[in-house]
Amino acid sequence: MGDSIEATLTSLADGGATGALRAGRAGTIYLHEGRVCLVECQGTPSVEELLTTSGRISANGVRTTRQAAAGDGGDMLVRRGVLTRGELQLCVLGATLDASFFLFGMAGPKLRFKDGDRHWLGTYWYFDVPALLLECRRRRARLDRAWPSAELDGKPVRPVRRIGSKHVVVSSAQWEILLAADGESTPAELAKKIGLSAYATLVAVRELAAADLLVRPEPEPKPEPKPEPQPDAVLPRRTDRSGLRPGLGAPSHTITPQTTGDPTDVNLLIRLRDALEALQ
Amino acid sequence: MITIEDCLFEAMSIPGALGAILVDHASETAVATRGMSDPERSASGLSEAFRAIQTGLALSSPTGTVRIDDVIVTTDQGYQLIRPMDTPFDGPLLICVQLDLNRANLGLARHRLQSISRQLIAS
Repeated sequence: MGDSIEATLTSLADGGATGALRAGRAGTIYLHEGRVCLVECQGTPSVEELLTTSGRISANGVRTTRQAAAGDGGDMLVRRGVLTRGELQLCVLGATLDASFFLFGMAGPKLRFKDGDRHWLGTYWYFDVPALLLECRRRRARLDRAWPSAELDGKPVRPVRRIGSKHVVVSSAQWEILLAADGESTPAELAKKIGLSAYATLVAVRELAAADLLVRPEPEPKPEPKPEPQPDAVLPRRTDRSGLRPGLGAPSHTITPQTTGDPTDVNLLIRLRDALEALQ
Repeated sequence: MITIEDCLFEAMSIPGALGAILVDHASETAVATRGMSDPERSASGLSEAFRAIQTGLALSSPTGTVRIDDVIVTTDQGYQLIRPMDTPFDGPLLICVQLDLNRANLGLARHRLQSISRQLIAS
């Protein structure tokens, strides 16, 4: 087990490093004099993908520019009128924040730093490492505020066939996701398909879940320990869920369900608390 | 053709401007800011406000769809101007400017903000 990405990145930043930190096949972090200038993550749309899905340049166009570029590919694109400098900054900024969010949380990739390595695009935005780590934490909190459960994050997005209310309001991102959802693509795959950041897609998916517009996955059957059969029971045995009448059964039993550290239980409690707070 | 920094600089040069911020709407990220005391909180609050207006107007509009060009809010402290900008790569950005109640000219500020957003993103 190597160091975590965060720890390695922080020490590289303190040393004012310039180069590329590769996290196995999961992604790459490009640094310039101790500041991050671009991050790529396998699961999020890259700058190249964002450029092509935006329709501004073909995949082939990106490839030839990339081959011809000597660390100034971005300038070449701006000179050719593919996009403005401001748009390029936004593209790099969006892709980096998106990739950071998913890459930094990963555990266990092998880290290798290559001194002096640069991205073909060049440098268009600087991120201080502590600020970038803070932003990732803020994004995590924002995601949980939309819908505090990760149960749908990695599952295929499946819109419900029938809505429970008469009307719903969807944002443009939510609309694109609903249209692109084929019952098999996960949020990350949909993000690449519609050219939206994986994070924005995840926020929209969680908002859709909160609005009850997505089919929930069936809960996985949990192997529950069977209650001890009572030999002298004359009445039909109660089912697991109905609980025991006070005074019946072993004295250690209570009528409240047993608490576990199960995340779905914790999420249920969080939602319950939020709902109660909203009632006040 | 301007950069993000130019965009903020231009927004601050609008007569009466007290603060300006560029926000990524979906993530509520404060992309760049000038003259704002707590950019993170401003970004989150302005995104929420814009989302609420969008939802409310969509519900009240007879066609059910609404496209907001800009939002002007007059408060006892001054004006808040919010303008959404579509980007070719991701969800919309919001450019928000806080204006002084006495010194600002709303018509001019709206016009300037529109031209700034068009210079940042060629659509």
